[in-house]
Amino acid sequence: MDNDSNDGASGIGDLHQLDASNQHKAKLATVLNDNGALLSREKLVTAREDTAHMRENAAGLREEAAQLREGTATSREQEIRAAETIQSASDDQMIKLQQANAHLVVATIEAHKLAEQIEATKVQLDHLAHHDVLTGLPNRTLLQDRLSQAIEAACRQGRQLAVMYMDLDQFKHINDSLGHAVGDKLLQSVAQRLMDCARHSDTISRQGGDEFMALLPYIENAQGAALCARKMLAALALPHRIDQHELHISVSIGISIYPDDGRNAETQIKNADTAMYHAKESGRNNYKFFKQDMNDRAVQRQSIEVSLRRALERQEFVLHYQPKINLKSSAIIGVEALIRWQHPEQGLLLPEQFISIAEDCGLILPIGRWVLREACFHARSWQQAGLPPIIVAANISALEFRNKDFLNNILEVLEETGLEPRYLELELTESILMQDAGSTDSMLHALADLGIKLAIDDFGTGYSSLSYLRKFPINTLKIDQSFVNNMCSNPDDAAIVSAVINMGKSLKLCVIAEGIESSEQAAFLLVQHCDEGQGNYFGSPMEAGALATLLQVSVTLIPN
Amino acid sequence: METNHLQRHNIIKNRIAMNPDEDVDSALKLWEQMATEIISIVGESGFNSLYSRSIFLTQSTFPWVGARSKSQITEQRFAELKMDFEEQTPAQAREANCLLLITFTDILASLIGEQLTTTILNSAWGNNASGKTSKEFKNE
Repeated sequence: MDNDSNDGASGIGDLHQLDASNQHKAKLATVLNDNGALLSREKLVTAREDTAHMRENAAGLREEAAQLREGTATSREQEIRAAETIQSASDDQMIKLQQANAHLVVATIEAHKLAEQIEATKVQLDHLAHHDVLTGLPNRTLLQDRLSQAIEAACRQGRQLAVMYMDLDQFKHINDSLGHAVGDKLLQSVAQRLMDCARHSDTISRQGGDEFMALLPYIENAQGAALCARKMLAALALPHRIDQHELHISVSIGISIYPDDGRNAETQIKNADTAMYHAKESGRNNYKFFKQDMNDRAVQRQSIEVSLRRALERQEFVLHYQPKINLKSSAIIGVEALIRWQHPEQGLLLPEQFISIAEDCGLILPIGRWVLREACFHARSWQQAGLPPIIVAANISALEFRNKDFLNNILEVLEETGLEPRYLELELTESILMQDAGSTDSMLHALADLGIKLAIDDFGTGYSSLSYLRKFPINTLKIDQSFVNNMCSNPDDAAIVSAVINMGKSLKLCVIAEGIESSEQAAFLLVQHCDEGQGNYFGSPMEAGALATLLQVSVTLIPN
Repeated sequence: METNHLQRHNIIKNRIAMNPDEDVDSALKLWEQMATEIISIVGESGFNSLYSRSIFLTQSTFPWVGARSKSQITEQRFAELKMDFEEQTPAQAREANCLLLITFTDILASLIGEQLTTTILNSAWGNNASGKTSKEFKNE
């Protein structure tokens, strides 16, 4: 408003003012423009700075973003690594678990196997404790247990039962001659045959060695046991084929009956054992029932066995000699050595009273060696004394003949005593010769090659194979005295004696008859062309000194 | 337990009955499938131990099973079993295989239990033969 009141007076001034103003304005404008430009420049600078800041910020952000991306990548990598680590650890764990499972399975299966083996071993041990290893039969322990139970049952029910004690006859000979392997197989064969004879309710057991027992818990009477015994004897009578051998074996059986022969297992067994010995003494291969008086004999037998063991050391045996006579010339051509036992309490005992016991307990071997040595020694002494040389004969048991040292023993004795082999004769029974003919043949030839004479003793009482008789290097057949005893009264015995003499002649063997008791017998034999004789008719067995005297007086024996 | 035991036996009998052609390869496939499952759990040696024991026990009834050798290699082991089966009549082979499988799984079950054994068999052979059995297990 002030500017309007001063319009006229101040026109030029106004112009000036205007001009000045314009100039001022222009200046101002210039200034302003300059200021604006400055400001603009400043703004520009500021903007540029801002831009630069922003760029810096953006760069910073980009760096952060890059860092973040790196972080993410790292973290992903870490995650992957972690996952891989976990997976790897898991796989390891799985493998470990699998291995652990495998070990557990294997260990458990092995434990099962072990437990099974232990169980099987326990069963085996239990079986072994109660059974015989060789035959598989119940053993002594199991039999005693069953017997005790059977006795209790029989007692309650008022029944009888039988116990059978069985011992194989001459088994030792087979064992000694053919070896334990053959012996064992024979025992197995015997065990099988005994089993075949038994009923399901019976027990067959092996007591040890060649001894068996049978328990028959259900018998009507004693005859039931006898029937079973006869079956067993018949079953064993058939030959046993063992390897290349055909073996014959028999058995002696003793039977005790409950309640008559004992009230407990121990007594029953003992009495059956006693009866078995009685069966042996009665010729073997049979059975005997127990009788009370057998016990007394068993006691005596036991006493003899104990004394026998000392008899050799105490020099209680003596040899007696029975002459052998040439029936035509009556000349003494030899003697048979016969053992006697000068028992300190029972006096002079004959061989029948102790030889079977000596065989059973094995003493027959040292006794046999003693007989052989003593006989050869005497024969040599008689020769050295200038007496006419005669043949001395010794009996040989199967056990001796089958003993592996038999031939060596004979050689030693002949060497020790200086007796020529041709003055020694060995008497062997048919049963010895026919058992295992193969080994017999070679032994006989070995003896014959030495010059030793061989005779078959008790001929006619055993079983001889005529082909072996022809093959064996036998010198003499000795007719058993059982035929000679009755030949003058019994035509059958006479026929046998005659047949044996004729057969002997045909085979070019010397024939001698033993047990000649009378002139009638001697005459009969002479008519039959028997070569030699032996018996009390010509001379009883006598001591060595008496025989030496007899030989000194005359070599011919004139019957009294 | 007795019921489970019989059910497992039935699974085996059913699987064997599913092979009416008496095909030895099919019979052995059961073994291969089962072996794969079991080896993954107890390893080769664990399987071998179980298998050898099963063979031994089965021999008391079928002496010809596993008689030719005692190979520990899985492939040869089943090849030998195949030869054993091929030498017998199909009926005998089937009967022997059934007994061998039952014996094997009996032993396995005695170690790890019936349920797990059946689960393994189902895994190995599928559920076709044991669908009913599985349901029965589930209801227990």
